[in-house]
Amino acid sequence: MKGLALFAVAFTGALLLYATGDFPDWGSLDSPANGGELSTHYIKEVRKETEVPNIVTAVLADYRGFDTMFETVVVFVAGIAIIAVLRDFGNGSRGYPPALANNLPEEPDLIVTQTCNLVIPVLQIFALYVLAHGHHSPGGGFQGGVMLGASYILIALANGVEAAMKILSERKILLMAATGILIYSGTGLVCLLLGENFLDYHVLSRILPTDPIMARSHAMLFVETGVAFTVTAVMFSIYANLATRGTLKGGL
Amino acid sequence: MFEITISIISGALICGGLVFFLGAAVGLVRFPDFYTRMHSAGKGDTLSTIMILLGIALYQFHDLFREAHSLEEFFEHFKIELLVAIKVTAISVLIMLTSPTSTHALMEAGYDDGMEPFTCEDEDADENQNGKESAGQ
Repeated sequence: MKGLALFAVAFTGALLLYATGDFPDWGSLDSPANGGELSTHYIKEVRKETEVPNIVTAVLADYRGFDTMFETVVVFVAGIAIIAVLRDFGNGSRGYPPALANNLPEEPDLIVTQTCNLVIPVLQIFALYVLAHGHHSPGGGFQGGVMLGASYILIALANGVEAAMKILSERKILLMAATGILIYSGTGLVCLLLGENFLDYHVLSRILPTDPIMARSHAMLFVETGVAFTVTAVMFSIYANLATRGTLKGGL
Repeated sequence: MFEITISIISGALICGGLVFFLGAAVGLVRFPDFYTRMHSAGKGDTLSTIMILLGIALYQFHDLFREAHSLEEFFEHFKIELLVAIKVTAISVLIMLTSPTSTHALMEAGYDDGMEPFTCEDEDADENQNGKESAGQ
């Protein structure tokens, strides 16, 4: 069996190494990434077509909106899978061993709590800034969502998972994660209802008080907000389930 | 003249930060137990990061008196540089808050976990052992 596995690994590796010979040279002008029609179009026309200075955001949320939508779905499914695998509904079979559970400190540490109280509002505002400023600088839904999720994880680290669960309960987590995907695909669906292709944002100018070009820019913010919702909820859910072994009580 | 002065001051700050970083790294390797190691890492790391970031923030202004055709252009340059400097300073404030707190949290976790601090008796024992070893040789 080990020999077979070794053979499979070696064979795949050899195949991959063989395939690298077909790669274009570093920085070659003829490589599809540099000279292709598509990338040239992105680089030259993004500003004219979408009014978004950050090409990465425009490609991610507009030109390849489908890809990003299903990436968000992947994040959502990962969150659901983590809950399905780890969540422990009360019979304690997967919970803490009793000795460890009794070992938890009763009171959260004062210094850590105070610092977190200072840092968390700043962190959350900065996360919203990263989310909303993704058009102009590096950032966007995934990054902003991860930072928002991290702020809730910080609450859980400082005050215990239960305190954080009071703010963002499991019900809210699932609702939030699903809402994110609903916002994303809903934006696409509205385009469909207005008579254009799915996720073809420029048609949104009919319901938004803007011209078609700015409508694409604004629609990117909508879908990024959806991404941020899902990522925030799933990040915190993964932490809460992993840290408490699925009981959502006690914690690290 | 202004450019050279700013460069020297910010360079001195950055080099000073590197010296403290080196101290923190040496302390991390050389100190005898968990608590003293955390002490060196926490203190040295915080001060050196703040010094380096302040040096970088100051360096933003090194080109302030470049050719400006009008007062407005000068203030335009100044605004851009000031914005970057404020952002860098904000990072250093954040590190000033969070780094000592994380050191404290680690210390407490170690204490709760039953880490034994290094005491005078340990030192005596070490010396005795070393003495025996050297005597044996």
